Amino acid sequence: MAEELIRLKDLVKIYDTGAIKVLGLKRINMTIYRGEFVAIMGKSGSGKSTLMNILGCLDRPSMGHYYLDGIDVASMTSNELSEIRNKKIGFVFQSFNLISRTSALKNVELPMTYAKVGKKVRRDRALKLLDRVGLLARADHMPNEMSGGQRQRVAIARALANEPPLILADEPTGNLDTAASEEIMGLFAELHREGATVVVVTHEENIAEFTERIIRFQDGQIISDIRRGEGQ
Amino acid sequence: MLLENMSMAFAAIRVNKMRSFLTMLGIIIGIGSVISIVSIGDTMRSLFADLYKDVGVTQAYFCIGYWVDDVRQSDYFTLDELERVRDVFGDQIDYIDSNAYASGEAITKEVSVNFNFQGIDYNYIDVQPVDMVYGRYLNEGDILGRKKNVVMDVDSARLLYGEENVVGRTFRTSLYGYVDEFTVVGVYKKEMSPFQKLMMGGQSDKGSAFVPYTLLTWPNDYFYYLHVYASEDVDLDAFFQQLKEYVANYKGREPEDIYMETAMQQMNSVDSVMGGLSAAVGGIAAISLLVGGIGIMNIMLVSVTERTREIGIRKSLGAKTRDILVQFLTESAILSACGGIIGITIGVGLVSILGMAFGIGVVIKPGVVIVAVSFSAVVGIFFGLYPASKAAKADPIDALRYE
Repeated sequence: MAEELIRLKDLVKIYDTGAIKVLGLKRINMTIYRGEFVAIMGKSGSGKSTLMNILGCLDRPSMGHYYLDGIDVASMTSNELSEIRNKKIGFVFQSFNLISRTSALKNVELPMTYAKVGKKVRRDRALKLLDRVGLLARADHMPNEMSGGQRQRVAIARALANEPPLILADEPTGNLDTAASEEIMGLFAELHREGATVVVVTHEENIAEFTERIIRFQDGQIISDIRRGEGQ
Repeated sequence: MLLENMSMAFAAIRVNKMRSFLTMLGIIIGIGSVISIVSIGDTMRSLFADLYKDVGVTQAYFCIGYWVDDVRQSDYFTLDELERVRDVFGDQIDYIDSNAYASGEAITKEVSVNFNFQGIDYNYIDVQPVDMVYGRYLNEGDILGRKKNVVMDVDSARLLYGEENVVGRTFRTSLYGYVDEFTVVGVYKKEMSPFQKLMMGGQSDKGSAFVPYTLLTWPNDYFYYLHVYASEDVDLDAFFQQLKEYVANYKGREPEDIYMETAMQQMNSVDSVMGGLSAAVGGIAAISLLVGGIGIMNIMLVSVTERTREIGIRKSLGAKTRDILVQFLTESAILSACGGIIGITIGVGLVSILGMAFGIGVVIKPGVVIVAVSFSAVVGIFFGLYPASKAAKADPIDALRYE
């Protein structure tokens, strides 16, 4: 298969609540290759959110290694992690997390602003991305003027802004109706076909159906890792 | 990035217009009052400086020190001595007299009015210019001949005679016990600013007139004071010191036995009192700036809490600690600077309106404005620092989860 994008080696996350230590993730070993479309599934408390935070470089593992695009990010400082998030990861959240009272265009431009991309390039690229998700006409609309599905598409455009190698979606359809959910998952599938690596965290089976590989979590451990249609 | 931050800050300020305005109000009032108080102080100082300039900044008085125990007859000045001083110092002296004043009732057939009489030499008009409207000024003949002639201003003329052209009219008064008849030889007019009138011509029920200083000699042709207007191009301090030493030497005294008072000294002491006063009041007004700053800190803390989620989003998209810090600092600095600019406008406007109302040219020093603006920006940055660093330190996971 293709080259590794994510490799977790003996990854452990311990939550220290003072009195007791809770083992969030128990020695995870996992590899995701460039170009894969993966679903991470599990019930709440299974550790999938913890894994999501670590994969997204929002949190650091207590032990072990996390190689993202060949770089060990396990022991980076928070500012270094900011840079990694900016360049290597495109987030799509359950609650869209667009900045309110800020136009779709400005929202899409934001990651490029932090990457210090020039104003004109930023704007051109943001418009192109909005066009890509079919919202060019809504570029100047505020998030509260758009439907959930539209907001999530703006969020996807924003996730693509710095052309990150990894798209990380955390319950991206959790706040959407069925039609919008299918539309969004269709968009992820399209991105995947174009070569993007997409990891979706979800607890819905029908959402996971869109992906090609399902990794199931329970009690902080991987209990199954199934590739569908392998060799097709 | 700076421009980006500024446009973000303006957007955030616009979103909460009312709140932003109320926050700025503290700074507006603070800066406005500092500017207006300091400017009013500076204006007063310049008015007093003008006043002194008008009265004559080159003036000085000399007399035997009040602390000297064994005062002798020879410590007083005679007319001859005044002449001698004039001869010795020549061009360095513009004018010299005995600084003699007297007051008494001026009586005509109809009325009697209290009058102040100032003893002057004929060339007093050179150092205190007035416009003669009727008749003439006192001349050398009046002085040498000790003529009982007077020159008065139009207001005094109207007070005493009910009209302005009173040349040739007479009145009776007593200077040092003798009742004498005096003749008005001239009437003058002096242009004064409203402020000068306020400070100098307060008594409208009292007249004033110039008489030959040779009439006001006490006792027996002796004068207590030597009153000098130095020429404008001499070094005043050095010249007065020299004059003091000359007088002391001439009188067989030590220089420290001679009392000297110069208009410059007076002016400087008034100026320093006024300066100190306006600095003190300005300082008190500056406390309101501090209060304004705390208001900004308070609102920024609220804003940071309200926007926790936004901070989380920004961090997840790659904002570094510094980016968030700068964003919130920019916002509080802009809030404060806007307040400062509005405050300056109001302060300057207020002072200018006051100035126009009283017909006074106001003094607004650019330095004060610059200091005020910088101070308000510093207040914004200083009081924005804590909220901004709180925002910058937020943990992205917690911040994203914040509802």
